Amino acid sequence: MTEPAIRISEVHKAYGSRRVLDGISLDLARGTKLGLIGPAASGKSVLCKLVCGLEQPDRGEIEVFGERIVGKREVDLGPLRRRIGMLFQNYALFDFLTVEQNVAFPLEQGAAGTLSAETIAERVAARLRAVGLAGSEAKLTAELSGGMKKRVGIARATVADAELVIYDEPSAGLDPVTTQKIYDLLSADQARTGATVLAISSDVAALAGFVDEIAFLYDHRVVYRGPAATIADAPNALVRQFVRGDLEGPLDQAGPGMASLDRSIK
Amino acid sequence: MISGIGAAALRIAQEVGGIVLLTGQVLRALVPRPGAGAWIDGRELWKNLYKMGNRSVPIVVLTAFFAGALMMLQAGPFVKKFGATGLAGWGAGYAVLREIGPILIALMFSGRVGANNTAELSTMTVTEQLDGLRALAIDPVRFLVVPRVIAMVAMLVALTVIGDLVALVGAAVVGKAMLEIDFSTMYYSIVDNLKPYDFLHGVYKSIAFGFAIAMSSCYFGVTVRGGAVGVGKAVNAAVVASAVSIMLLDFFLTYLSA
Ligand SMILES: Nc1ncnc2c1ncn2[C@@H]1O[C@H](COP(=O)(O)OP(=O)(O)OP(=O)(O)O)[C@@H](O)[C@H]1O
Ligand SMILES: [Mg+2]
Repeated sequence: MTEPAIRISEVHKAYGSRRVLDGISLDLARGTKLGLIGPAASGKSVLCKLVCGLEQPDRGEIEVFGERIVGKREVDLGPLRRRIGMLFQNYALFDFLTVEQNVAFPLEQGAAGTLSAETIAERVAARLRAVGLAGSEAKLTAELSGGMKKRVGIARATVADAELVIYDEPSAGLDPVTTQKIYDLLSADQARTGATVLAISSDVAALAGFVDEIAFLYDHRVVYRGPAATIADAPNALVRQFVRGDLEGPLDQAGPGMASLDRSIK
Repeated sequence: MISGIGAAALRIAQEVGGIVLLTGQVLRALVPRPGAGAWIDGRELWKNLYKMGNRSVPIVVLTAFFAGALMMLQAGPFVKKFGATGLAGWGAGYAVLREIGPILIALMFSGRVGANNTAELSTMTVTEQLDGLRALAIDPVRFLVVPRVIAMVAMLVALTVIGDLVALVGAAVVGKAMLEIDFSTMYYSIVDNLKPYDFLHGVYKSIAFGFAIAMSSCYFGVTVRGGAVGVGKAVNAAVVASAVSIMLLDFFLTYLSA
């Protein structure tokens, strides 16, 4: 058995006095799909950025494809990052480029000129068709709706057939039908490339149909991990309450995210 | 009070340190390195050269013309009084080429191009576009900052040269219209009395000013925190830092060459 695609061990991360992750450990075998759920502000997006080396942990080890990334210099992270595709929660689209140029960007920059312009144009066009954005090629990203931006982000994250793809909220801002289409597309992509997937979503039902396993991030740690298909009946009461959206249950009312939500309702 | 001054001094020291670090990164990125991707992104460079240079020409021409005209207007009564029409061109030219031209145009440039650049870069930073680049294994300093620095230095030098010429024309026009100094008198007064070094001195200054404006406007752009409010603060800080560094540099460069 080769080493896992991602190995996170005992990682701590705080911003100032705010603890976000507190000794989190997580392994992800190659070719598998893991969903990550958890309350708002529990650190899901931060975890994605840690895996990509965009943020450095305060303590702990992170290995991606067997390579330690903690403390590495930016330049040395380059080769690894080319193997990772990342969809940002807030898209992070380049507003100085058109839709088409955004999607072409990883191909133009990454493969360092090994692809011909025709090949790039072909692959970009195919990707944009797949996410339902044919016809919007020449638009600037500022002219797009939220859902369209999300789909451009997905196209950009997947166009280079990365070995590890991280989706931070791929279905946020999409209607139910488009959500299903997108998850179908992501499934088909994964089946074709055999990539490892880490996906975050608040839409647990749709996510569960896509990933193999789901991990629950709560109180700065992964408190549960189990098969996606039966997540609503998980043996962990916290997870059951979270997935079903029950108001009564063991979820700490003063816990991360929930407390502020509670206050804002009152 | 004292702790307030201490905190402000600390912040300034921190920012100066940050600018120095970024300068180091920019200089390192200027050295081509095989395997690190494109040396400089051509598209970014051309776009910025065009945006920063071409579109600044009208405002530079306007200010420079009136700056030159004003010089002459101020000097007029003395020139008349002493009948020193032969020295009018030299006086105006000396001041314009060595001092007024470079500094005035640099200040204009920092207000227009520098502020714009900080707003643009900081908006990109808060919308995670720099992280987006990093995630694609692209160094934001090499990709975004370096072309901007090159474009700003090149364009400020070019605009200063243009501005110098226009200011001299402005001075000549006022000299002719109000003081009845012939164009030829003016021309020989400038050509006979001024040395190439007077002109070059201004060009050296504009290189330094351009670099200072570029570094501070990029620094505040890439280090911004906190959404739209942060963008506003960053622009503000960049304009102040540019103005202060222009004045300081001007003093030292003039002092060194004196
Ligand atoms: N750059 C940063 N500086 C300071 N605090 C940060 C930063 N990034 C994240 N945080 C804090 O870390 C915590 C976790 O943020 P994160 O974005 O990971 O949440 P999340 O689980 O993705 O939430 P959501 O489901 O709402 O997207 C939040 O409290 C946030 O304020
Ligand atoms: Mg998030």
